[in-house]
Formats: sequence, structure tokens, C-alpha cells
Amino acid sequence: MLVFILRRMLLLLLTMLLVSVAVFLITEASPGNVARNVLGSFVTPEQEASFLNQLGLDDPAPVRYLHWLVGSDWRGSRLVGLPLKRLVTEKGFVEWWARLPDGNLVRWKLDGDNLIAQIRRPDGAVEEVPDNGRWRKRADGSSYFWGLDAHNRAVLWEKGTKRKAWVFVVGSGWKEVSGGAMDYLPLKKGFLRGDPGVSLRTGRPVAKSLFIRLRNSLVLAGIAFAVVMPLALALGIAAGLREGSALDRSLSVGGMVFSVIPEFAMGIFLILIFALWLGWLPGATVFGEKAPWQRPDMLVLPVLTLTLIELGYVLRITRASMVEVMRSPYIRTAFIKGLPYRRVIFKHAVRNALIAPITVIMLHVNWLLGGIVVVEVVFGYPGLGKYLLDSALYKDINALEAGAMIMVVAAVGTQLVADILYTFLNPRIRYR
Amino acid sequence: MADKKHHPLIPELKAQMERGGLSRRDFLRYATLLGLSATAAGRMAGLVSPREVWAGSIRRGGVLKVSSQVHKVTHPAQFSWIAPANQLRHVAEYLTLTDSDNITHPYLLEKWEASEDLKTWTLHLRKGVTFNNGDPFTADDVVFTLDQWLNKDVASSMLGLLSGYLDPTGIEKVNDHQVRLHLKRPEIAVPEHLFHYPALVLNHRTFEGDFIKNPHGTGPYTLVEYREGERCVLKARSDYWQKGADGKPLPYLDGMEFIDMGGEMAPHIAAIKTGEVDVIDPGDMGGTDIFLALKDDPNITVLPVTTGQVRVLRMRVDIKPWTDNRVRQALKLCQNREKILALAYHNQGLLGQDFHVYPKHPEYCEKPIPKYDPDKARELLKQAGYPNGLDVNLAVGSDWSDVVRYAEILKEDAAPAGFRIHIQTMPASQYWEKWTEVDLGITPWTHRPLGTMVLNLGYVADDEGKPVPWNETRWVDKEFCDLVAKASGILDVEERRKVFCVLEEIMMERGPVGISYWRNVWTSARKWVHNLKAHPTNYLLTHEVWLSKRTS
Amino acid sequence: MLQVAEGTSQGKTSRRTGRRLFLGIRRTFSLIFASRTATVGFFIVAFWVSAAVFAPLLTPYSPTYQDWKAPNQGPSAAHPLGTDELGRDLWARLLYGARIVLVVLPVSQDLWLPGGTALWGVAASLALGAFLGLVSGYKGGWIDEVVMRLLDAMMAVPVILLYLIFVAAMGASAVNVVLAIAIVGTPGIARLVRGLTLDIRTRDYVRAAETRGESPWYVMFVEILPNAKGPIIIDAMLRVGYAIFAMGTLGFLGLGLPPPSPDWGSMVAKGREFILAGSPWAALWPSVAIASLVVGLNLLADGLREEAMRYQ
Repeated sequence: MLVFILRRMLLLLLTMLLVSVAVFLITEASPGNVARNVLGSFVTPEQEASFLNQLGLDDPAPVRYLHWLVGSDWRGSRLVGLPLKRLVTEKGFVEWWARLPDGNLVRWKLDGDNLIAQIRRPDGAVEEVPDNGRWRKRADGSSYFWGLDAHNRAVLWEKGTKRKAWVFVVGSGWKEVSGGAMDYLPLKKGFLRGDPGVSLRTGRPVAKSLFIRLRNSLVLAGIAFAVVMPLALALGIAAGLREGSALDRSLSVGGMVFSVIPEFAMGIFLILIFALWLGWLPGATVFGEKAPWQRPDMLVLPVLTLTLIELGYVLRITRASMVEVMRSPYIRTAFIKGLPYRRVIFKHAVRNALIAPITVIMLHVNWLLGGIVVVEVVFGYPGLGKYLLDSALYKDINALEAGAMIMVVAAVGTQLVADILYTFLNPRIRYR
Repeated sequence: MADKKHHPLIPELKAQMERGGLSRRDFLRYATLLGLSATAAGRMAGLVSPREVWAGSIRRGGVLKVSSQVHKVTHPAQFSWIAPANQLRHVAEYLTLTDSDNITHPYLLEKWEASEDLKTWTLHLRKGVTFNNGDPFTADDVVFTLDQWLNKDVASSMLGLLSGYLDPTGIEKVNDHQVRLHLKRPEIAVPEHLFHYPALVLNHRTFEGDFIKNPHGTGPYTLVEYREGERCVLKARSDYWQKGADGKPLPYLDGMEFIDMGGEMAPHIAAIKTGEVDVIDPGDMGGTDIFLALKDDPNITVLPVTTGQVRVLRMRVDIKPWTDNRVRQALKLCQNREKILALAYHNQGLLGQDFHVYPKHPEYCEKPIPKYDPDKARELLKQAGYPNGLDVNLAVGSDWSDVVRYAEILKEDAAPAGFRIHIQTMPASQYWEKWTEVDLGITPWTHRPLGTMVLNLGYVADDEGKPVPWNETRWVDKEFCDLVAKASGILDVEERRKVFCVLEEIMMERGPVGISYWRNVWTSARKWVHNLKAHPTNYLLTHEVWLSKRTS
Repeated sequence: MLQVAEGTSQGKTSRRTGRRLFLGIRRTFSLIFASRTATVGFFIVAFWVSAAVFAPLLTPYSPTYQDWKAPNQGPSAAHPLGTDELGRDLWARLLYGARIVLVVLPVSQDLWLPGGTALWGVAASLALGAFLGLVSGYKGGWIDEVVMRLLDAMMAVPVILLYLIFVAAMGASAVNVVLAIAIVGTPGIARLVRGLTLDIRTRDYVRAAETRGESPWYVMFVEILPNAKGPIIIDAMLRVGYAIFAMGTLGFLGLGLPPPSPDWGSMVAKGREFILAGSPWAALWPSVAIASLVVGLNLLADGLREEAMRYQ
């Protein structure tokens, strides 16, 4: 069993790796230009190149992927020659500093040709001192220095060279400087170390906005799941018990029809009926600062949409399984032996009939995720799916990768749960 | 305000009004632009000033919920959206205010004075105004903000508006509460430019390029939370400089909350119908769907206003085939304007004539509505060397449903002329990424109170002869540019209109754009929201808004 | 299942092929009509297929013709299903929308391939999936292990994620939709074919061919594949249903074919705007169309499967 779980965990990791590479490659290969997305269309080619450089987007794709995966601070640390430290300020902004041998934290800025060290005292106060001693000479007489700037990047500063550079300071725009900053390495910890990076679309850390979206989606999916499961299993068993009856026929046909109506169509019909004609329920979700569960009335229609669609699917699987079990020799034997009807049904049939549906349902989470994306769009629900859709449209790679990873974990994780449940329900199965 | 010492042109304006050459409304507009207070101007025009609101009916408290979009913002001067301005205008403020009737009032200014030649403008700052971090509001803030607009590196759209007549060297700080602007050429629209939506006044001590990090403004609210794509939460401050009708400082509300409900209007509509939000801020989105869905709802007020907001069919004149004016003219002839207005915008607007002057701009010179003529268009295409027609790609933002319909109608109606239009839809955010780059596209332009403002923004060249930043078509016509500059310095409306007749003629004959219709817009609010007015620019002005329903 | 016991005979004449084809069709039909479920499904699908094929004969309107005096109308004599927001006939748009799904693939404005977008998607995933499944099942060993683990990983990826990333990033076009459908469908088909291959591999006629010294490719594609076609066909029917579903969803999310193409999902997305204004028709009909066609395919596949099992 343990070996089996380990194997599945391995599969999960493999899947995540493959998906992250695939997302990266597809975004890479697809048309569109992040620099233009962010800066607008007035940029000159030099500015564009400089912008890409400053975001570290001019590195070769494998390097960028590596930075996304395991971070870039280790490389920055090697370049600067000092250990680096990431800290979160009181206001919640992330800052990177280099640690001096005396324990103080330091960053640098360039003022004309002078290098200024900004030293952060333990109480948070920052003191500026000239620090020109750090320049290193090159053979041609120019100087260079790898340091850290206020925008969380390792920067290669130069002086005495003829080259000119464009610097884009977020907010105040472009400046042309001679010498100055020549190369950039944005610092991040990497996905594996819990830092999915900064969203290109919003300019804020992905992890922050993703958390609330994920929570909202989980609430939606959780409630839908909690409603669907007992209901569908009960109805499926009822239908399966009386195979061919009117109840069975209507449930199976109805279940199938509902399960193949597209989610968006279902959502629209429900809004039409319940929000517009009857006026019973809100047809959109507006939470503001509240959590979804504080506005249960708004959850009704999204949950109902998901429920109707999933219900039919689970019901049909359960019914099929129940029918099969009821036809099986041991149930017949049980009846022939004269065991009471209820005991046969509940002790033997139902338990065996549940094995198939539970695993299938867990596999179906994959589909459920798709349904959630659409339902979120229909009802304006601020969840993970909408976030993912927006990120994909904007080519916001960090946000897209993080969202994709969460979805993969959800899908593969539920499959693992399904397999464990399967062994639990059916002790005859032992995994190698 | 300068009631005693009027601007020398004011008597002339008054005489013009009395002769009938200037409507009362336009008199009000120009007189206030020249520094006369609205009340004084109203008295001169013989209008009764509106009665003061009876303070007793006003209730304080409550949070106004607005469905909106919450974009990424850093530098206010870089705004290219109305939505962030509608949120942050409650935190930071403008020097002036142009109201729903297109009349401009002093705001953070106490008053302004223009010299007789309209080349020197003195701005008198309101005293006793403080930023929400306690800093006093002084001339340094105004100079700093003006410098930001004029800084090429910031790439603000204010640059296009101002650079024609103002250089950074022309800004003079007279004293702590006076700033003087020395213009390169006469310009009448200075006060209106100061209310352009990126023109929020910044705190020179704390502003470092990202307003969200240091949200210090003089406005009635402080920024509690700004989360892109989710929401923007504002809380009332207690020491705001404006007083309400009850004698206590504004605002009446405890706070405001803008909730991002995405680019699709349906959730916005559903939310206001069920009372989940109090107001829809259509900002840059929205169209007739809001109007059609809400007009019969007894709980909702839908306030219409005709505007100069427009969908501009723009052709890049530096890219083939649009370099050839005959091809441009041919496509313009393919607009079946009545049909487009009827289907794309449900007849809620005015017909356009391929020049970017809105019929309610004072200097508008009446021209006939061009007819739909595919035969003539085909003939022009033949002359231009396309006897078998040609394939063109038309870029449209899919979030603007009326734009998509416009494109579909154009595709259908341009087919007989030989245009094979391939519509390329993209999310609005993607359209804005390349709106100045695509060779053929439909760009939404917002309302501006004066005809010269638009032309200066989008259809002229800078001093070096290069197109200004928002000149998306790269159309630079020497004669046209000179005339625009000339018109910007003419105060007399009839004189100005004469220039505009020529300008409009040039745009119709060889201009780079097709304009089929001018849109109405609506501000929709629950009935329990009071004192909210529709603004033609979709600006959300809520200073005096109060709620008769307690919100939780 | 349908023709499990038949081996392949060599040197058959075309007449005999024709006769066998005829017999096959007759047997399939008798199978369909033996099941009430399959019959209902068959008629729904047949309705849409013929509607798509004969679209120009079934409506006097073109799907892009705009009657600008009559937008957003309910059903009437002139327009049996009403009109959309541009006064286009909804019935005509539905018919031509069915064409995109079932009959033509609009690669570009000028190049239209026969075979619907959904069918191309499924066909592509069939080709790829069958190949992988055959090789994996027949060769076994490390090839099997690698292929199956890769496919497991692919199957674990949420379908919507694949669609979103692929179509959103690559841009919305019929070809990208086909590719997305193909990628999503491949692992499932490969698994099915692999299972069938493992079973059929042990049959005598496969052993015989191997003894004859036929190449592995011959055995795979001539001996094994034709004998696995029954379940594959049924599975493919279901997949066409999923593909139509997926096309609808993509269209609804704004990732469908560009306007003015009568893409069902895009029609719903546009019509949605007018539901709240009191004209639900433009959103209603395409939703019904998608639902009915998918229901039809499911009924047909279900009925066939049940019948085939009974037959066995």
C-alpha cells in the first residue's frame, strides 16, 4: 500500500513537471509580447530589450524555467558575493537584501558615478553611505560591480564604459543613462520553495491573490460535492434496485440529459428562471470583503448548476453498478438462502455497488474542474477558474503556472484518494 | 472668485450671447473657463441658481457598493482607463471639475485667471487643504504633478494634451499658493485639461511612482485596500475640506467599495437588480445591454446622457493599403450608419460623419450625414488598384459588444464593395496593448468637453513633426495641424466654428477615421442612492451622494 | 465485438468488399433499431447531420444575412426560430453552425476542409491514440511503461486547463480547437486500444500471422486494429459528443471561432447579453442544439453498447 502511494506521488510529481514544462513551452511558442502587454505600444526596440532584461525575460528559456522552478537568489548570491536575505516589510512588501559580514543588511544605488550603499539597521532605519570601494576594475579601465537594487534585482553596474542603457523605473518611466545598470537578475525563491513569483498582470505576488481565489473555488466545489454525492448515490441505488421500472427509466434518461447539457447553458437557464422570472435568488455573485459562505443565497444557483450536471453522471454510474451487483450470483444466492430483503440489499449489494462509482467519481473531479471554470464565468464568481482564464489570456506566466499546478494537484490528489478508498471498500484488492 | 475683475473677454462673450451667436449654455461654459464663478456667470446669463439642498433630508452613513473593474495601476498620470480614475478620484483630486453640463469649476483651485491673450494662466490654490497623511497642499505639489505630466519618460496622455502649448520651463511657482503657467500659444481649454482623468494631483513629498504604495491625496476617502482584479475599498476621512449641507465635512458616506465584476456586463446587471451593488460604474465597458436590461426596473434609476464617446474605425495611414486615401474613403463609404446605430447601439446615440467632432461640441459645424454607397466604394477601390477587392484584418476588442456588432455589420456591408474583412477579436486588454499598432481597428474614444481637446490628442503632430502619442493612425496633415493650433487659441465660438468647418471638411475628405455613431451612456443606480448624476465622460462623482437605505 | 470472429482474408475483390460493407451497414442498423435508446439517439444525430449537409436547402437565408429592421425577434413565420441581435435568422445560423461542427473545418477564410471540426478533432485523437495504444500493447516492456506513464500524466491534467492554456495562448481558431480536442482525447483512446490489443494479441489468428513471419506493423494494423474497431467506434461517438461540448464551452468563454461565424458556443455568449433585456432566443437555441446533439450521440452510443453486449 505504501509503495503504491509512493508510486502515485511520483506520478503526481511527474505530471506537475510535465505540465509546468508544457505551460511554459506553449506560452513561449505562442504569439504575443509581454513587454508590449505591460508597457503599451510606444516602446522603442531598445526599451523593449532593456525591459525584458530587467525582468530577466531575455535569458534562454531553460534558464528562465529553472529560475521559476528553484529560484534565482542562489545565482544572485554568487554574483554579489554575499548571502541574500528575503524579508517581508510591515506593509507586506517583499524586499531582498544582502547580508554584510557584520550582520547588517545592505542594498545599493547608483548616484551618477558614485555607488551608494543603503544599510538597513535592525530597527528598520536605512542609512546611506558612499561605497565606491566595491568597484572592480576591468582590463580596459572600466569598473563594474554586481549588487542589489531597491527593486529586488541583482544588478550589474558599470562605469567608464561608452555604452548607454535604458532604465525603466516602474511608475516614473524610462530614463537613458550612460554606464549604469547593464544586466539584471530578478530575485525569487522559485516555485519549489514556495514562491510562485509576481504576476505580470497585477504586479503583485501571485500567492496572495491566488489564495482567496482557491478558497472560493473550494467552497463552491465542496458544497456541490456534498450535495451531489449522497443524493446521486441514493437515487442511483433506488433506480438500480428496480431496473426497468418507470422510476429507473426517468432517472436514467433525465440524469443523462442533465449531464450533457453544457454548464453555461444550464447556468443561463437557471438565471432566467430563478433570478429573472421568479426573482427568488440573485443571478450573480458579489462578495466584496465577505467570504462566500457568508452569502449562502448567492451560492445557490452556482451550486445548483454544478449539482444538476454532476448529479446525472454519478447517478448513472451508481445505477449501472447496482444493476450489475443485483444480477450477480452471490446476491441471488443470498436471496435463495432466504436472507431478509433489507439485509441483502444493505449488507451485501450496496457496499459492493459503491466501489465502482466512488472511484469513477473521483476521476470525474477532472471534469468537475472544467465545470467550475464555466460556472464561475457565468455567475461572475471570483474563483480560481476565472483567475486562470484571465491569466491565460494575458500570458501572465507566473500566475498561469501557479494556477495550473493547483489544478493538477487537485485532479491527481483526488485520484489518489479514490484509489485509497477503493482498497478500503474492497479489501480483496491489494496493491503491489 | 473673480467677480469684480472679470476677464476682458467676458463682456464680449456676453454681447455675443445677447446677439444670439452663443447659447446660454456655451456662455456659461466659456465664462467659467475664464475664471468667472458659475453662480456669477449664471446670473449674467439670466439663469436662476439652483436652490440649496435642504440639509434635513440627508442621511449620513453607509457604504456605497459599486460594481466596476479594478485594474493594475501605478502612476495616475499613466491612466488609460476611466475605471481606476473613478476609484482613485475619491482619494486624490483634480484642480478643477467639469460637471455634467460641461461647465468647469475650480476645485482644488480657489480660482484661476487668464491673461487677455490667453497665454498666461494664474492658478490660485485653495488654502487649508491637507493630504490624507497630514501634509499641506501647496504649489509644490501642483508643480510636481505638472512636471510629471510633461515628463516624456512618464508617457502620460496629459503630454499629448498639454505639450502643444506648455513646456516644463513655462511653469512658475509664484508663492506657496499660486502657480503661473506661461503658454507657448493661446489656449482656452486649460481648466478643462486639468480635469482630464489622469490629472490627479500628487503629493510631491511621498509620491515615488506607485500611487498604491503611498496613496496620499487630498480626497474625501483614504485607500484601505486595492487588489487588482478583485476590489478597491475606501474609507471616509474626517478632515476633508469640503462641507456638506449639514455643515459637517463631507462625505456623507462611511466608505465606498468597488468590486471587480469583470468585463462581462451580465454579472453587473444581475448584481444591481438584486441590490447587491448600489451603482454600476460602466467605466470603459458597458453599452446598451445595461440600458435595455434596467430601463423598466422600478427599483433602479437609469440616468442617460448624450456624450462624445465614440467607436472610431481607424486606419493606419503609414501601412498599406491605407496609405491610399481612396481605399480609406472606400471603407468609409461602406458604413451604413443608420443600420449601425440601430443594431450596434439600439438607436441610443447620434449619427457621426467621419470627423472626430461631437455634434454637441460648441464649435461643431454642421455637415450632412454621408450615405452608404458600396458602388462608389468599389469604383474607388478599382482606381486604387484593387479591381478584385482586397483582404483586410479588422481588430476589435471582444469586451465591447457594440464594437463587435459594428464590425460584423461593416463586414457584411463592405463585402459588395470588395472588402473582404476578417474580424480578429481579442479581449479588450489585448486590444489596448496594440491599439496604436494595428493597421485597421475600432478604438473606443471617450468624451471630451471641447472639440479641440480631442483633435489635439489624437490627430496632430508634436513639435518635431512626429505624431503625438495617441495619434493612433499616424495621420499628420500639415494644414490640419496648423488649423487645430489656430482653433485652440480662438475664443469666439463663431470664429472657431469657421475653422472647424474646414477641419471637418479635411477629415471627411482625407482623414484616417470613420465615425458612425456617438453613444449615449447611462449611470444606473438603485433608487436609494441620492445626488448621483450621470457624467458624459462616465466619471463617477459621488461627493454629495448619500444613501437612504442602511447597508450592513 | 461487431465482427470479432472474422480474420482478414487476402485477395478479396471489390465486389465482395462492397457486399460486406452493405452487410456491415445492415447489421449495424439492425443493431441500432434493436434498441429503443439507440433508435432515438440515431434520429437526433441523423437530424443534425442532414440539417448540416442540406443546410442551404433548408433555409432561404444565409447565416450572415442581416435583416436590420428585425433584430432580436421571437419565432415568427418569416424566421421560425427568431432572429439574433443583428437580425440574422437563428435557424439558418443553427444549421450552418451544425456544419462547422459536423461537416466542414474552416481552416482559414479560403480553405474549408470536409469533415466537421469536432470530427477532425476526434479523428486526430483516434489516429494518435490508436497508434500509441497498439504499439504500447503489442510491444509491451519498457515502451509500454513509458507510454502509459506519460499518458497517465496527461490524463491527470484537468481537461479545461488544457483547453484554456492551449486555445487561450495559441489564439482562437478552428485548427487550434481541433488540436486541443485531439490532445485531450488521445490518452483515453490509447488506453482503450491498449487494453483491446492485450486481449486480441493472444488470439489464434494473430499467432498465425506472427508464425507466417508478418512484420509487427502488419500484425498491429491489419490483424489487431480491425478486430478492435467495435468498442473504438462506440467510444469515438461519445468523444464526438465531448468535442461538441468542448467547442461550445470554448465559444462561450470567448475562445471560439471569430465572428460572424455561426459557432454555437459564441452564439450563446453573444445572446446572453440580451437575455436580461428580454430576448432569450439567441442564447436559448444554440444551447438546445448543443445539448440535443450531445444527448443524441450519448443515446446512440449507450444503446449500441448495450445491444452489442447482449449480442455477444
